[in-house]
This record gives sequence, C-alpha cells and structure tokens, in this order.
Amino acid sequence: MKRLAWWLIRAQFQTRRTATALSMLAIALGVALGYAIHLINDAALADFSQAMKSVQGEPDAVVAPQDSAGRVPLALINELAQDEGVALVVPVIETRVRIGELAVRLVGLDVFSAGLLMPDLLPRQGAAISGDNIFEDGMYASPALLARLGSKVPEGTHRAGAGVTATRGDATWSTRIAGDLPAARPDDLLLVADIARVQAHFGPPDGVSEGRIRLAPDTKLANWLAAWKDRLPPGLTLRAAADNQARLSNISRAYRVNLNVLAMVALLTGGFLVFATQLTAVAQRSTQFALLGVLGLAPRMRLAQVLLEGLAIGVPGAAIGLALGWAMAVAFTRLMGGDLGGGFFSGSAPVIAPEALPALGFFSLGCAASLAGALYPAWLNRMQPLAQALKTGFAQRPPHQDDSPRQRGGKVLAVALVAGAALALTQAPAVFDLPLAGYAAIALVLVLGIAAAPLVTQRVFAALARRELAAAERVAVQNVGQAPLMAQVAASGLIVSFALTVSMVTMVSSFRVALEQWLDAVLPAPYYMRSKGLPLPAELLAALERPDAPFARVERMAVGTASLDPQRPPVAVLVRELDRADPSARLPFAGEVFTAPAGNIPVWISEPMQQLYRLQTGQTLRLPLLGREVEVFVGGVWRDYSRQFGAVVIAAVDYRALGGRVEATDLALWPRRDAGDDATAQRWVREQAARHGIDGVGSGEIRALSLDIFDKSFAVTYALEAAAMLIGLFGLAVTLAASVWLRARELATLSALGFDRAMLTRAVMLEGALIAAIGLAVGLACGIAVGAILTHVVNPQAFHWRMDLQIPWLQVLPGAALTLAAGIMASRFAARQATRLPAAQVLASAQ
Amino acid sequence: MRRRAFLLAPLLLPALAVARQPAVTYPAASRATRLVFPRDHGAHPEFRTEWWYVTGALDTAQGEAGFQLTFFRSRPGIAEDLASPIAASQILFAHAALTLPGKPLLHAERAGRANLGAGFATTDCDVHIGAWAMRRSGSGVTEQFRLKLHDPAFGFDLTLKPTQPLLLQGENGWSQKGPRPELASHYVSWPQLQVAGSLTLDGRRQPATGRAWFDHEWSSEVLAAGGVGWDWIGINLDDGGALMAFRIRDGAGATLYAHAALRDAAGRLTQFGAGETSFTPLRRWTSPRSGAHYPVQTEIRCGPHTIETLPVQDAQEIAAHRPLPVSYWEGLVKIRGTLSGRGYLELTGYAGALKL
Repeated sequence: MKRLAWWLIRAQFQTRRTATALSMLAIALGVALGYAIHLINDAALADFSQAMKSVQGEPDAVVAPQDSAGRVPLALINELAQDEGVALVVPVIETRVRIGELAVRLVGLDVFSAGLLMPDLLPRQGAAISGDNIFEDGMYASPALLARLGSKVPEGTHRAGAGVTATRGDATWSTRIAGDLPAARPDDLLLVADIARVQAHFGPPDGVSEGRIRLAPDTKLANWLAAWKDRLPPGLTLRAAADNQARLSNISRAYRVNLNVLAMVALLTGGFLVFATQLTAVAQRSTQFALLGVLGLAPRMRLAQVLLEGLAIGVPGAAIGLALGWAMAVAFTRLMGGDLGGGFFSGSAPVIAPEALPALGFFSLGCAASLAGALYPAWLNRMQPLAQALKTGFAQRPPHQDDSPRQRGGKVLAVALVAGAALALTQAPAVFDLPLAGYAAIALVLVLGIAAAPLVTQRVFAALARRELAAAERVAVQNVGQAPLMAQVAASGLIVSFALTVSMVTMVSSFRVALEQWLDAVLPAPYYMRSKGLPLPAELLAALERPDAPFARVERMAVGTASLDPQRPPVAVLVRELDRADPSARLPFAGEVFTAPAGNIPVWISEPMQQLYRLQTGQTLRLPLLGREVEVFVGGVWRDYSRQFGAVVIAAVDYRALGGRVEATDLALWPRRDAGDDATAQRWVREQAARHGIDGVGSGEIRALSLDIFDKSFAVTYALEAAAMLIGLFGLAVTLAASVWLRARELATLSALGFDRAMLTRAVMLEGALIAAIGLAVGLACGIAVGAILTHVVNPQAFHWRMDLQIPWLQVLPGAALTLAAGIMASRFAARQATRLPAAQVLASAQ
Repeated sequence: MRRRAFLLAPLLLPALAVARQPAVTYPAASRATRLVFPRDHGAHPEFRTEWWYVTGALDTAQGEAGFQLTFFRSRPGIAEDLASPIAASQILFAHAALTLPGKPLLHAERAGRANLGAGFATTDCDVHIGAWAMRRSGSGVTEQFRLKLHDPAFGFDLTLKPTQPLLLQGENGWSQKGPRPELASHYVSWPQLQVAGSLTLDGRRQPATGRAWFDHEWSSEVLAAGGVGWDWIGINLDDGGALMAFRIRDGAGATLYAHAALRDAAGRLTQFGAGETSFTPLRRWTSPRSGAHYPVQTEIRCGPHTIETLPVQDAQEIAAHRPLPVSYWEGLVKIRGTLSGRGYLELTGYAGALKL
C-alpha cells in the first residue's frame, strides 16, 4: 500500500512538474513571509526592550508626568522612597541636548540609587582625570558617542577630559567629558551626568522627569499601585513597568498584522494552486483511480491518496519556507535593522534567534494550507462512481447533484446571506485595535465572488446561447454557460487574484490622492525648519527677529507629548501659533469645526486621537498639560497621516495663558515679497540649518520626500499584485488544459464532424476568453468592494487613517484588458492540446 | 563614638577615593558650644561628618542577638554652589547589622543624597534613607527613639526608651580626639535604652526586647596624623552604669590617643585621659575573608578598672561597599573583669591601612 502511494506521488510530481513546483513555491513564500515577519519583529522587540532595560533597568513601576512639560515633584519622590513597600526609588532626569550638530540623549542619574537598578548606565571616571568626580562636574559619554564626537572634531580627539558644550534651547552647559559608560550598548548615543547638574542646567525645577520604583520583595504590585492611585497628585501616572512592554508591542502591532495578512494571502494562493493542481490531477487520473478501485482500493484510500499528495507538496514547501524565512530575516536585519519598514524601531541590527514552537507553527500553517487545497479534490475522488469513471472518465460533479430551480433559489439566498454578513462585518468595530472583522469581510467578499460566478455565468450565457452563433462560438458559449467545475475553478482563481490586485491598487491610489491633498493642506508655508525633539537654538530664533531675516511671517510650533493611557504610546501635543478663530487655515479638518464656548480652551485633535480615545467634536476633555489636567474643548478633528498614535493642537496663546513656555521645535516660514527673489530665503534657510545642524527644507521637498517614501513603501504591493495575476493566469491555463483533456471525446467528435484545427482552436480560446472575462468582471466587482473595505474599514481601524475611495480606472481597466489578453494567450496552450488529439483513437477507445 | 565614619566620610565611588582639599571651610567642634536638646539631636549640616548610631543586645527566641543601625551624614564639600535642591552636597549612608547566635552576621547598607530619597532634620533626630529611619519623639516619659529598617534579609522596628539622662561626652559634649584641640567632635551618648519591638527574619516577624546604646557625634576633623584605625567600645553595664572607651592607633599598632568615660549606676561621671586608658590585645581572630587579625578579645584598662571583651561570636566582620569598600569588625561582646555588662566593640583599620 505504501509503495503504491509513493509510486502515485512520484508519478504525479513527474507529470505535473511545473504545477507542483509552483504550488510548492507559493506555500514556501507564504510560510517564508509570515515566518520572516515574525522573526524580525520578535528580534526587534527583544532588541528594543533590551535597550530599554539597559537604560531603564527593570523597575516594578514607573511614576512619570502625563505630559512632556510636566515633572515628578521631588516631594513625591521623597514620599515614595519612604514607603515601606518600596525597596528603592530611582529618580532620573532625561532630556535631549545638542552637542554641535548632534542631538544626544542626556540622562541625569543619582548614582546612589541608579547603581542598583541600572548598572549599565554607571559612569567610569577617565583614568587621566584627577580630582573631580561625577558630583562636581563633567559628563560621561557612551563609546558610540565618544567615537562620533571624535570624528566630528578634526583637530584633536574627544578624549576623556575634552571640553564639551551641551545646549537645549537657550540653556547651555559647558563642561568636559570626564569619563565613559563602559556598559552602554554599542550603538547608544548617550550622555550621563549627575542628576543635580542636569537639573541645574536644564531643569525641571524642583522635580525630576521620572521615578523608577523597585518594590520590596513582600509587596504586591497590584495592591501597591491601587493604594497609591488615589494619593497621586494630578498630572502624574503611576504605572506597572510591564505596561511598557504592552505599549511597545502596541506600537507595531497593526503594521505587523497587515504584513501577516499578506503572508496569509500568499498561503491561500498556495492552497488554491494545490487545489487547482490536485483537481486536474484527480480528473486526469480518474480512470486509473477507478481501475485501482475495482482492484480493491477502498474509497477511503482514494481520499487519503489525494490528501497525501497535497501534503507531499505542503511539507517540502513549508520546510523550504522556514529556511527561506530565516534567511530573509537574517538578510533583512543585516541590511535594514529590525524596523520592518515601519519606522518604529531603529538602532542596531537585532539578533535573529529562531525558537522551536513558532517555527513549528508556521510549518503547520504551510501544511494546513496545502491540505486544505487538496480537501475538495480528495473528496471528489472518493465520490467518483467507479463504473462511470472507468467508462466515460471523470465526473465533474459528484452524483445526485442536480440543479433544480429550488436549489438554485437556495444558492441565491446563500449568496445574499453571505453578502449581508460581509456588509455587517464592515460595520463591526476593531477587535484588540485590529480590523479583524474587516479582514473577515474581505474573505467573505472573495467567497461571495467565487460562489456568485456560476450563477452569473449561467444567466449570461444561457441568454447568449439562444442567439444565432457560428459553430465554434456556439460550442464555447454553451460549454461555459453550463459552468462546469473546471471553468469555475479557472474563473475563481482569476476572481481572487484580480480582486486582490484591484483592491490593492484602489487602496494605494486612494491613499496617495488623500496624502497629496493632505500634504497641500498641512504645508501652507514655503519653508520649514525643524530640530527633532529639541528646542530650536536660541541663536536661530534671535536671527529670525533681526530685520535682515527675509521673512514676512514666521509661525512657531512646539512639540510635546501627553499620555492619556499608560498602555498606549503618548499623543503628540502640538503648540501652534494659529488663529483660534480660524483654525481651518492651518488644519485640514474632517467634519465640523465648533467654536469653543467662552472661557473654554479649544483644542483640535487628529483623527487617530479621535478614534483611539473615542472622542467627539464639541465635547470637553481633561488633557494632561503642563503637569496637570486641563479641561479643554474639542473644537474639531483634523486629518493626520503622520502621527499614528494621535496628536492634539493647542494655540500658543492658550498654552502661554496656562503658564506654559513655548520652546519652539518647528518653524514655518513665509518669505518677504520685497526681500528679493525666493533664492534669498532659500539660502537663509539652508545656511541656518547647516549652521545649527537642523532640518531646513522647502515645502516642495517635504512633499516630494513624503510621496517618495509612500511610493517606496508600497512598491512591494505592486510585486505582490503581479505575482497574484501570474498565479491566476497560471490557474486558468492549467484548468483549461485539464478541461480539454477531460472533453477529449467531445472534441474528437467535433473534429470528426468537420471542425478543423482553426475552429477547434477558436472554440477553446474563446472559451478561455469567456472564462477570463467572467473572472475579471466578477473580480473587478469584488476588488472594488475589497478596496472599499481596505480604505474605509481596515485603514481607519489599523492605522486610524481615513480617506476617500478613489478607483483608479486608468490603471484598473487597462490591467483588466491586459489580463484578458494574457488569459487568451494562456488558453492557446490548452487549444494546442485540443488540436493534437488523435480524434479517431479517442473515439475508438471510448467505445 | 563612630570612628568608622572617619574613613567613610570623604566619599564615594571607587574612582573618587582621591584625597583632595575641599573647597569649603568646615567649622571645628568648639569647646564653647553649649548643646541644646532636642535641637542638637538633629543634624549639623555645616560640619563635615555626623552620625547617629544605635547598638544593642536583644533577647530573642533564638537567644542573645546583637544589632546596630547607623546613619552617617557627610558634607563632602562638593556641589555646594550648585543651584539645585538635589545637589550632592549632603550625602547620607546607613549601615545595619544583626548578629544571631551561631548564624553568619547579617549586614545591609544604603546610601542617598539629601532631598532625593533620603533626608535629615536639623531640629531633632529625624534621619532616613528610603524606608530606613531613625526618629526621636516625645518628652519626659513619652520620649523615645524609633528605628525602622526593611531589607530582604532582615528588618527591625524598634522603640527605644531612655532609662537615664543623656550622657554628654568629654566637656559638656565636646570630645577631644587627638593631641591638637581642633581634633575634636561634639559627642552625645544615651546608654541603657530600653528596647521593645520586633525583628523580621526571613519574612517572619518576632518580638524582641533588650538594651541599647545611642551615640550622636558630629565633627569636621578628628583623626590625628599617622592614625590608621581605632578601637572603640560602648558598654551597658549590668549594674546600670555605662562605660565608653576608645583609642586611635598608628600603623605600628601604638596608641596615638585614648580616652574613656564611666558613668556609674548613681550617675557619677568619671573621665579617664590618654594616660589612664589602655587597650591590650589578648586574642586575635583572623578573618578568612579579609585576612585581617582582629583583637576580638582585648583587655581595656581605665583608671582602676580592668575589663576584658568576650565576643558572642568571633565572625562579626562587616564588609561594607558604600561609600568605599572597607572591612572592619563590629560586634556584640560580653564584658568581664572589674565591671560586667554587654557592649559593642568596634575595630577598624586592621584590614589594610585606612585612608581619610
């Protein structure tokens, strides 16, 4: 028995090399893609949390201000420290400073407490440095920073002891590098200094930026947190440090899931290919199987054999996929780091460390896909009536399945039900912040397309067949009109692949159009200057005040953060100099804009913020601001494609009135008309940017750059679309060829009745064209539906990006025409087989 | 008195143990100063060094146990002009130890800068690092000290009630430490404190009672040139009296300065000068860890009295890490001779020469 099974598998592989190899490849690709994404992200997360541990240690809890302008008062640190449930409180001041052109993280440490929690940050006094210790003066630099500083100064190197000046806004600290940080990670650009020195120079006054808490061994974290929650002053959060992990994995989750869906699509394609291959294989070997059946092979074994053949494709495919995935992950992390293209993690190349369980999981997925593909053909093989198969060959439908009007009515009802379910799913909210219902709706739409295709076919072609047609055309139309299994398979391959292609193109094009409009709206000024995360140098701001600065208008913006939910990344707080009466002049609002009632402070929130925190225009909100909670009025919701975790805009006037200091990080510049040509302003921006090591660009450049990044990050989807179309076409060719083979007797009869080669070719090619046309038409409809779901459900739920649907007819229709032509070409392959049939022999053997 | 702090005072991290001239002028302990309480139980932050030190014997379920808790305040003379409330100009250290019969000595230490998880009051004894604390409160019959410390290995929460008046060492609390008058400290002792409270071992709390000795001393300069270490003892005598004695040694083990004070049960105070006080090693114990030879059994003479120290166990060496790695012997001893009682003996400078 075993030998028979093995023999059949070998024969199958040999006769259908291309089909088998392609199925295997698709499965391998699906597994590889999914596995690589898993490995890379796992490694990146591990790397990132390792880096965080290195800098942050492993506290049990963290107390921090809710917004970046806040602070943890010293009184609270002291109170926490004296709590008997607390073993240790490590106060830290973290800030960013500029050293020359470098923006560097500066950590103010209290070595007494930090040594126990964050040993990686402990400084080492330079051997040559005598006298002063960390409390007296000096900064301690990480090896990477020492190297960078050394290379930035041509004469002499930054040896320990060299002078160094750190600036932040108008605060300056001139000191020296007194030593290094031997345990800092190799890529960290990091400075450590005594916490009091950092505070004296850069603040915050009478507070620190964070307290990291290690609890006494017998203290229960949850109880302790609960006890402190009520005692905490407003504007502060006390959270379990484990929340950091949740927040970290939240950062990239939506992005990862979307990539994984792509992997699933590849796997499904693999499953479909296995299906198509095995179906034709079953059909073509129906006589063999019938013979084996008569000789005693049980129906159960016939089923098992086809499943086994499916596994024989799946197992090596999945194994190759694992190896490929691992190789991809290693290559990717070496080349690009662990960032998955999402820009979320940056830093060193993380180490790929495969583990047994996930590998096994992905391997099983690959096998499952191929098994699933083989399921229906296997069942069909089991159900073949032996006698008929021996005599007339493959039965495309299992027996006892007629198409009574009642059944057809049932089918229509089922289709309607599926459509209803899909529609309902699109209205469902996100689950765990993921558009799972949206994905399910997409799957249903594809199922719907496949199921509806025979119904459409029968309706259209039954009508068509009643008309006067030439013999060849009549044969083709009638054959397709009956919607035999093979035609259905061929069509469904095309439906799925074309639907996916159309939906991707639609989504990308909608997004791109929306992005262009958005860029126009958010970049009103001709020039922008920006210093990432750091206040702009005071010198630059002073230069802008001078009469020779060639600008008519300057708008400053300060960027901070506010944490509304400890498990989510903080939202950006944008303090902008805008007209409170007319915020629409600066913000691309989506929906109504309300004027705040007198006495209320208006803010305008971004769409992601609105969705993440379920906010509405016109409501009030307690926003963590300046170390306390301020009641603000949501005046409107604006579109934002750049800050996925939300942003809120507050007018600089209001921010100052609340006692805030606007430390500008961004500038929007409008050149003066009379200041000569535009080149003057451009030169000014360039020079100042270069002098201070910040970004200074024209809005056109930002626009071009943004669109370029967009195009690049979506380039991979074009490759996927091409692959999907090729697979669809391949399916068409394979199934058409199989159907020709199955209809050998009919074709031979036609040939005997006087059909010449040209007529036969025409009949088969027309058949291919008709199937392709149906597939493309249904695929187009499904594609638009899926595109709409991607645009209106998946994108808003996964990334909180809303946009209008734009169907790119100019891409879709030529694409459809091209695919149709390719489909006709593919059916030539089948037609050639038809014309090569030895008609007499076929007819003779049929008796 | 707490000589150990002398070597601990100048700070801090391993790389920082460089002797240098501080930029600030410290006040010297002045003979003219009249101490006022409870104000002088509080900190004197202008002085370079200060400590609050409690040692004692506890009667526990396991037998007789020795305990000590010390808070040091150090003004290293740095970051004085820094405009920050958390400048490292006042730094606190704490050491705690517990000697249980037949068990290895338990030791824990903490450090912190004032106003950042640690602090002291200048109006009364109220000093803490994190949840470790020593506080005085009340007056008359309600007067008490509360000692609290919480460490993974052990902890205690003790209340100390006076049974006798304060003992001002030297001349009204001005205690000379060397031949030159600048080498002096302000030094207040409170012997025969009644202890009640609880001891926590391996997470289990148990009641404890006993007798303790409180020392509070502050100074800016005490160690004579050539001094490498010292021997010190504070004894709660069985008859209710109290004896304190110390000597400062040079590299050869010779005495540079010595002093003793005896207050008998009736409250009569007798001071013994350098000529009348002597320390003679009788038996040494060699630490397997540091290799130091500690004269754990020592004969002490002061005036007419001759006593001998008998450690409850030999292995009472402490290896401290902060502010500097240093080993010294400090432990509960029984006293026999012309006087009897229980005391705490401290032997420093035996594990290598000490640096100031």
